[in-house]
Amino acid sequence: MDQQLVNAIFIGSIYALFAVGYTLVFGILDILNLAHSAVFMLGAAITYSLALNHGLTFWVACVLGIAASAVMGLVIEHVCLRPLRRRQAPPIAALISTIGLALVIVAAVEQGKGGSLFVWLWVDGANSVAFPSGTFPNPVWHIGDLTLESSKVVIIPISIALMLVLGYVMRYTQVGRGLRAVAENPRAARLMGVDVDRMISLTLVISSALGGLAGILFGAALGDISPYIGRDNVEVRGLAVIVLGGMGSIPGAVIGGYLLGLVEILAVVTFGSSVRGGVAFAALFLLLILRPQGLFGTRLRERI
Amino acid sequence: MNRTRVVSGLVAAFLVAACGSSGGGGGGNSYSGKTLKLGAVLSITGAGGVYGPQSRDGANLAVKQINAAGGVNGAKIELTVEDDASDKAQSSQKAQTLIQQTQVMALLGPTLSNSAVGGHPLAEKLKTPILAVSTTGINIVPNCNNPDPTPCKYVFRDSLGEQTAIPANIKSYSEDGHPKTGVLLVAQDDKFSSDGGKIVQDTVAQYNIQLLKTIPFSKNDADLSSYVTQAVQLKPDVIFITSLGGIPAKIMTAARTQGWKGQFLGGNGFNTATVSKQAGTAGTGARSASAWYIGNDFPSNKDFVDAYKTEYSKDPDQFAAQGYTGIKILADAASRANLSFSNLASDRDKLRAAMETVNIQTPLGPFQFTSTHDVKQTVWIIQMDGAGGFKLLHEIKAS
Repeated sequence: MDQQLVNAIFIGSIYALFAVGYTLVFGILDILNLAHSAVFMLGAAITYSLALNHGLTFWVACVLGIAASAVMGLVIEHVCLRPLRRRQAPPIAALISTIGLALVIVAAVEQGKGGSLFVWLWVDGANSVAFPSGTFPNPVWHIGDLTLESSKVVIIPISIALMLVLGYVMRYTQVGRGLRAVAENPRAARLMGVDVDRMISLTLVISSALGGLAGILFGAALGDISPYIGRDNVEVRGLAVIVLGGMGSIPGAVIGGYLLGLVEILAVVTFGSSVRGGVAFAALFLLLILRPQGLFGTRLRERI
Repeated sequence: MNRTRVVSGLVAAFLVAACGSSGGGGGGNSYSGKTLKLGAVLSITGAGGVYGPQSRDGANLAVKQINAAGGVNGAKIELTVEDDASDKAQSSQKAQTLIQQTQVMALLGPTLSNSAVGGHPLAEKLKTPILAVSTTGINIVPNCNNPDPTPCKYVFRDSLGEQTAIPANIKSYSEDGHPKTGVLLVAQDDKFSSDGGKIVQDTVAQYNIQLLKTIPFSKNDADLSSYVTQAVQLKPDVIFITSLGGIPAKIMTAARTQGWKGQFLGGNGFNTATVSKQAGTAGTGARSASAWYIGNDFPSNKDFVDAYKTEYSKDPDQFAAQGYTGIKILADAASRANLSFSNLASDRDKLRAAMETVNIQTPLGPFQFTSTHDVKQTVWIIQMDGAGGFKLLHEIKAS
């Protein structure tokens, strides 16, 4: 169980980091950005490609991978959200348009093969890849029976630090106040002189940068990068995490991420590996019956 | 004087060329100038993306060589490769398009056994020869319509089935290492992997290996650490891995990181340089039975390896060799089948009949089909060398 607890904390950290970006957009826009999992994948894929196929240092590739994810945030806003907002479309329309963009991104990355525009992504043709050992330093510590890999350990402080920074920005800075004002009431915020469109763009940039970072950490720690890592691993789970934590709540997303990681690993250990997904979602279902607003959710509109 | 010589020389050359093209088996001049349309449904993207591109490259190389040498009795081969994205439904749909719209004479593929369950019965129904170049699961040949036991007439395979490969590998290691206990990690939602798992379960008892636990997982699970921890905590002598894509490499890396020092045994899923490279030093010594070994120096293999390296500037692997062999088989059968190039249905049937009597030298060794359309060839026991390649340990001749 001991090593399994460590496993649970690691995977929980990734769920948490992914879900923070997810919940941030929901908290401010009331929209589920389902392209978030595609940005997660894109961050990892671009970093891999820059580091392995184009000879950049791993750390430089990471920074560019995160930057590219942040730019994807702007694309989501300008392609999927803003045009619909201008036409006062209902939130469900924005949800569908983000699903569409996610499919386009995954399909584009899939096309990375000889003769296509995206050939630079997977130069060797195989699009299910891993960082070879030695790409980044990854010392392993053995404490008693426990095995701790630094590529996984590092995820925990990064997740927690980012959550704290985000919490601080939201609560104590001018930008944070602007964002909260938009979340509270976009029209009132606009009347008070807040540039609502700029605030929303900023939200998507922050959210997508976090999503891309989560993808890079995932790819580095678990050795799996393919066009499907977002869809298969975090899309639905991330949704579960933000529901569990309370829609729009940042601390809720973090705690929810760790909880889902724990419940999943507990399910594997007690009931066997084949029930992993099922047990986690059964637990989520039970919690929602007992506490429909989630762990940290409030019935008020004040979410962040 | 000179002029007469030139003319008679030309006449002689023409006669030789004419004899050459008709000598293949009664094909006659009906072949020259014609196009032999072939198709391939391969997994270029998705989970099978670590195998499919090599099959494609191997097949394309064979086409290029044959066409450069004058084609099949003068007919040029035109190969259309379709990517099924490792998806069963897409795979059948691509096969159908190639058979009915592109009107290919025969097909290679699909890459994954999981997809063959759809594509093979379809080709059988549409009476089009289909040659599996990498599918290794149970019930690929002859009973493609399993559980219906009727042998399929149009389905062949040139890849070594897991039913042969896995037991050969376990037998070989039990003689070398005398293992007592094992744990099986099996991807349960993929036919190739779950078939492999069943074969391991059915085989271990014969060699007095106690299977402590079978740990099933999903091929889409990226986080395998909890399964590996379960396996390692049981301290087995052997970890069997039946899975595809990058998964075996991930399991090896995680198990070695957690300090486990036993032996990895696997199947065809190990046999590609991509997996060996991803596993790196964690994979050193991991054993599998292979249909092909890069270091074999008989001419049909050496020529292939050299040509492949020249063409693609990298080493071929088992999948490249099987893809290349696939085209050679179809070309040989086509050269002997007396095709009309006007009646597609009857040509497909003639080609099928000719495939049954193929007997050629290939990179895999001397190649023939068994009476059930399966491959009859030598099995090579290989191990990963920790640097993206393989070393040959044993050679098991076809019985």
